[in-house]
Parts: sequence; structure tokens; C-alpha cells
Amino acid sequence: MANASGPSKFKMGVAAIYDSEEKVLHAAKSFYAQGFRKFDAISPYPIHGMEEACGIKRSMIPWVTFGAGAVGLTCGLLLTWWTSAVNWPINVGGKPYFSLPAFIPIVFELTILFAAHSSVAALFVLCGLPKKQPPVIDLDLTCHKFAIFVPEEDFGFEFQKVEALMKSTGAESIKKTEF
Amino acid sequence: MANQHAKTDLQVAPFIPSQGLKTFAFSAIGIGLIGLCIGLLQNPERVWPAYLTAFFFVSCLSLGGLFFTAINHLTNAGWSASIRRMSEGMTSFVPMILVGSLILLFGAKNLYPWMNADVVADNEVLAGKSAYLNIPFMVIRILVFACGMWIFRNIMVGNSLKQDKTGDDGLTAKSVKPSIAFILFFAITFSLFSVDLLMSLMPMWYSTIFGIYAFSGLFQSSLAFLILLLIYVKRNNLVSGYITIEHIHDCAKFLKGFTVFWAYIAFSQFMLIWYANIPEETEFYLMRSHFGWMSISIGLLIFKFIVPFLALLPRWAKRTENHLVAVCMLILAMQYVDIYWIVYPNFNDNHLVFGFYEVALLLGFLGLFVLSMMKFFQKNSLVAIKDPRMQEALSHHVTY
Repeated sequence: MANASGPSKFKMGVAAIYDSEEKVLHAAKSFYAQGFRKFDAISPYPIHGMEEACGIKRSMIPWVTFGAGAVGLTCGLLLTWWTSAVNWPINVGGKPYFSLPAFIPIVFELTILFAAHSSVAALFVLCGLPKKQPPVIDLDLTCHKFAIFVPEEDFGFEFQKVEALMKSTGAESIKKTEF
Repeated sequence: MANQHAKTDLQVAPFIPSQGLKTFAFSAIGIGLIGLCIGLLQNPERVWPAYLTAFFFVSCLSLGGLFFTAINHLTNAGWSASIRRMSEGMTSFVPMILVGSLILLFGAKNLYPWMNADVVADNEVLAGKSAYLNIPFMVIRILVFACGMWIFRNIMVGNSLKQDKTGDDGLTAKSVKPSIAFILFFAITFSLFSVDLLMSLMPMWYSTIFGIYAFSGLFQSSLAFLILLLIYVKRNNLVSGYITIEHIHDCAKFLKGFTVFWAYIAFSQFMLIWYANIPEETEFYLMRSHFGWMSISIGLLIFKFIVPFLALLPRWAKRTENHLVAVCMLILAMQYVDIYWIVYPNFNDNHLVFGFYEVALLLGFLGLFVLSMMKFFQKNSLVAIKDPRMQEALSHHVTY
């Protein structure tokens, strides 16, 4: 599980296991209301409203996509312009060397290529992927159980307080773990 | 699954058209009729292109509603169950397509050069096309198209209205097969309809992608109209809980997608003709790149694609009603300009014409469109309340 040598890159904290989607959604809202900000919710599938419940802000990936798309567009224009009109001008059907309509497909494809690959790359960076051997809180979390993990470094972390809140939100079991 | 998004009070008020709406519809129809009558007496060459442009524009809006209804049936879409009645309402103009195109046939000699026997006799190419481009066959094609649309509309919308009364879940499944048949029928006959009405204005010219081009404008503009309709109903508190910003957001995503689709198809048509540079094909774009027409060609690129695309790109833009209203109005205006740009250079290739006849006929058809929807919603509920997928639609939630 955790790295045998060197300090663990994972955070220590407390995890509560819940048996239903409603409970974990409610628990996330309660933790947020109590002032916790660094906790995480773990679910086998996406839950509607969970981003808002955890107070997660919008991802910056759309901006990466837009920026990379704009770069791809510029590169496509420069590539077609330099190869067809500057470095090796070729007369095609008497059209001008720099004929925009003919270059649009290339410009378009490069825009998509840059935008798509950068989005995936940004996703990997922002999510810290690939995660090799992440700590396993509970095997059932990939199937039919849900969890809230509160790291010790979260604001106002106090074991008794967190445990009480977990119990009051209907946690099935509570364990100290790393994630 | 209990969902926090479904807890709002659900209410559907009966639709009572406001005095302003009634006045608009009737006075617009009046202006349209006056325009048509004056035009027929004084200037038939001017009024028929105006009639064709306005008729095609409004028919497309209405057919787009039918297409939206059909694709939601055949994909078993749950999210749209609470807004589907709006697109069904848009189809209430469909019977008028039959009437409108029959009236158009009376003026067709003013529009289509291939209907003139002398022109065809002098032109070998047109003579060769006469197996397709002849009046009886065109009448048959128009009748098949318009009656077919009417029948499919009655089946699909009829099932939905019947469900309002009986609550029979089986009616939802019964709409799937007609929807599949409709899509196939629509793809073929609408292509022919657009070729007959618009492309054959210039019978020597042809573009094999023309049907898709007409369709892309059709769906883009009808989505814009659908969004305006949703916002109208929501703002006037006619429906509460059933139509939320989540539904509008998804329609706006659709709109953005089909804005790109229009540009893609428009560019595909342009680039192949530009690249091959064959005189009989380039004629279409040559006519539209001189005099005032060039500015309209460039205007279409900017205001039918670039501006709406960028304006619909951010997430907030698709969730801000005022912003959406502006973008949708722009797209609707540009759809009219698009049809105008296809029709008018055939008659006035060296100058732009826009005046009383264009405005009057457009108002006339818009008035008819509004009136037909008003009648529809007066008789029927604004929401398909007994749709079995309603719960899914109410819980609909667009994630980040």
C-alpha cells in the first residue's frame, strides 16, 4: 500500500464509510457547513450535486482547452503560410500562394489536435494521474459503498469532533487511514 | 432516488395569450396579407421572392420543432420530457406548410426559370434536367413532403397529447417507430424540398450538399427559437418547476453544436466549389461576391458562426437568460439573412433589395406561426405532464 521507504505522499486522516448516496451527499454538505474545506468524497460513480456539496470550484481545464486551441489555430496558420507561401511556394491551379480556404482544414485539425491532447494532459496533471498504488480505504468503495475522507491537515481538525459528525451523519464505520 | 433538484413546486398554468401577443399575431398577419395583395397587383417579381424567403424561414422553424421531438423520442431522451411540449407546439405550423407551398406554386413561374418552356427549349442542359425539373413532378414532390410532415406530426404530437388525457405509458414507446420512419423520410424529402424551392432558382447550378446545408440552418434556427420559447414561458411564470435553467443550458449546448455544424457544412460546400473552380459551380459564389452581396457573405460567416460560437462557449453564457435571448435573436435574424442570401441574388445580382415586401411577408408568416402556436397551447397543456420519463426530466442536472 503505502511506500515502504521515504515519507508517504498521501495524507493521514479519518474516513467514514456510508451505505447510500443520499447519506454521503448529506455528510459532504454537513462537513462543508462545519467549515471543513480539504475533505474528499469517494464514490463508485458520479453523484449529482456533489461538486457543490464539497464546494469544489470549476476546473481550469476549459481554459487550457481554449488556450491550446488558440495556439493550435495559430500554429496551423503559420505552418501552412510558411510551407506554402514562403519556404517553397507552389502555384496550385493559379490560386494565390496563401489561399486561406485551402488551409482551413489543416488549421481546423491542428486546433482540435492541440485542444484535445492538452485537455487530456491537463486532466492528468490536475488529478495527479497516474496514481500508482493509491491507499485503499475500503474495497467496497469501487462497488456499492461511499466515503468521506477528512485529512488531519484540514482546518479545525479534531478527531473527536470529526468522529461525532461522522456518526451523526450516519456513517457505517469510521477508520483512521491515509488517502 | 431523492434529488434536491426535484423539490421545487410543480405547476402548469393554463396558457391565456396576452392582448399584446394577440394584437401582434393578427396585425402581423394583416400586414402580410396587405403586402401580398399589393405585391400581386403591382409587383409580382418582387413579392414572390419575399414570399419564398419568409415561407421557407418559418417552415424551417416549425419543422425543426418536429425534428427535435423525433430525435428525443428515438433516443429515449428523458431529460427533455418536460420541455418536449414546447417543440411539439412549434410543429402546429406544419399543416400550413401544405397550404403555403400550394400558394407558392401559383407564383412559381415568377421564380423558377426552368418553368419557362422557352428558356428550357434554348438550353440543352435544362432540357436534360426536365425529367426531374417539371411542374407535375414538383407538385407531387411538394404534396408528398407536406402531407408526409403533416401525418408524422399528427402521429407523434397526437400520441403525446393523448397521453396527457389517458396517462398511458405505452404511448411513449409507440412514438419511437414513427420517429425512426420520420427521420428517414425527412432526410430524403426535406433535401428534395430545399432543392426544389431554393436550389432550382438557379437550375444550371448544383451542389450535392445543398439539402444538408438547408437542414443545418433549419436545426440551428429552430433550437434558437426553442430556447426563446422556453425563456418566454419561464419568465411569464406559466410553468414552474418543469422548465429549469438546466434544460435551457442543454438546449444551448445543442445550439452551439449545431452552430458549428452549420459552419462546417457551409464551409464544406464553399471549399469544394472554390477548389475545383468549375464555372458552372462557381457561378453561385461569384454572384454572391460582388456588389453588396459580398458583405452579406462575410456577414454570414461572422454573425451566423463566429459571434454565436464565441458567445455560447463559456458555461455562464448558456445559463444566463438575457445573454441567450440576444444570441438566439441574432441566430434567427441570420437564418433569415441566409435564406435571403440564397434566394435574392438570383433576381438582383447587382444590388441589394430589402423593403416593404420583405418585411410584410416575414411579419405575415411570423404572425401565422405565433397564431398557430397560440391556438395549440390554448387547447393543450404547456407540459406533457403524464410522460413516464418526467421524473428524469425534473431531476435533470448539468454537471460542471
